[in-house]
Amino acid sequence: MNARQVTEDDLHAYVDGQLDSNRRLAVERWLADDDEAAARVEDYRTQTALLHDLFDSVLREPPSDAVQDLTDRLKGRLAFNDNRPAWHARPLVRFAAAVLLLVAGAGGGWIGRGVQTVSPAGQQRQTLATFAEEATQAHRFYTADERFQVELGADNQDELNGWLSKRVGRDVFGPDLGRIGFRLIGGRSLPTDLGAGAQYMYINEANKRITLFVGAPQSGNPSTFSFTQNGDVATFYWVEGTLSYALAGRLSKEELLEIAKAVYSDVKAGPPRRPPPSEPQPRPAETAPQQPQMQDAPAAVQPISDTQKPKDS
Amino acid sequence: MSKFGVDLEVHIASLRRYARALLRNNRADAEDLVQEALVRAVSRSDSFQAGTNLRAWLFTILHNVHVNQVRSKAARPAEVDVDDVESKLVSPARQEESVELREMMRLVDALPEEQRKVLLLVALEGLKYEEVAELLGVPIGTVMSRLSRAREAIRAKLANEGGVALRRVK
Repeated sequence: MNARQVTEDDLHAYVDGQLDSNRRLAVERWLADDDEAAARVEDYRTQTALLHDLFDSVLREPPSDAVQDLTDRLKGRLAFNDNRPAWHARPLVRFAAAVLLLVAGAGGGWIGRGVQTVSPAGQQRQTLATFAEEATQAHRFYTADERFQVELGADNQDELNGWLSKRVGRDVFGPDLGRIGFRLIGGRSLPTDLGAGAQYMYINEANKRITLFVGAPQSGNPSTFSFTQNGDVATFYWVEGTLSYALAGRLSKEELLEIAKAVYSDVKAGPPRRPPPSEPQPRPAETAPQQPQMQDAPAAVQPISDTQKPKDS
Repeated sequence: MSKFGVDLEVHIASLRRYARALLRNNRADAEDLVQEALVRAVSRSDSFQAGTNLRAWLFTILHNVHVNQVRSKAARPAEVDVDDVESKLVSPARQEESVELREMMRLVDALPEEQRKVLLLVALEGLKYEEVAELLGVPIGTVMSRLSRAREAIRAKLANEGGVALRRVK
């Protein structure tokens, strides 16, 4: 798989989330043995984060009247023009599919799958990749804007969950992540290619914000944990029951994985203070609380990269 | 709002951010650049092909407008070059930010424009290498070498000029 040596370009593409899964794996293996390259990757990521720190504030400045007026006019003009083809024909989606990283396979290894498959399973992955892309974009946009980061605050969580459930058309809820230091601050609803989605936002004491994006996929087959990195934003995404989840944050993959595990076990357990869904959902007895294991997934699926060391914190 | 409407708003917010970074934090010039780009986008909206990449289309228009602005400024040598007044253009609010941020700002500003563009389009705006190559009208190898030189230049200075500790993710 990694017969070709890792190049300078690969390191950049790795940082920028523009590698296919096979090359990404090769780069991760390379980085595990090459401290100099690993330090460069880290510095490049720091640069990306600094750029966002410097300029994301522009996103929350009101545009000039002229720019706002032109935006509205352009919206009107282009809307007529917007007979977009199906999602799978759009270039962005095709690219999103190309960067999809599938975390699956025997023995907890990573098996990258190409995008050349046109099987229904392949299509589902593309749809999920699009979902993850939208979640990442929404994370970037709304964490940059402190005034409008949520539509509805979390003062009344039942109200928040009820409102978002109505928008999404399914029962959704924002899990309580207090035990890992993240407080729910509120949520907003957003249109996605898969219909309405709900974005929950959390914050920790260090002012780090993470978002959990929940949507209703077209098909609800349980899938595996997948990971994508776009610049400094890392995103884990998966399907559970009839819903898709994407957890995004400016954190390392390992840090985000710990949070994703907590979210996973919470949403699997269902919303607090609510009767369980009418259809019985058998919970596999062998599923350990901290080790998410997907139903119907290939054997021994674990959201763990082979370059990741076991963590106890 | 429609998915399309949200997309457009997000892309235009990105254009404003990119313009600000490109024009060294000069708010008035950045808004002017975005405004002129949008005027052109409205007048050429028929040329936008449905289903193609709206974000890349908008950034391409902004790039072309910027190139024309630079060209027409060069034709009027009486005007003060932006580099000469660089320090005055940085807004006072920046003074309160961390040493690291100010240093990053200075280093990005000091990059040759062709490198700064590539770094900002890729790292700040998340455009694909292919999109950047097409937008700038250069081969993808050129995009990669400019990106590499930009990142290494910043890295060498951030690491060497004392007092700036790089944040480590882990």
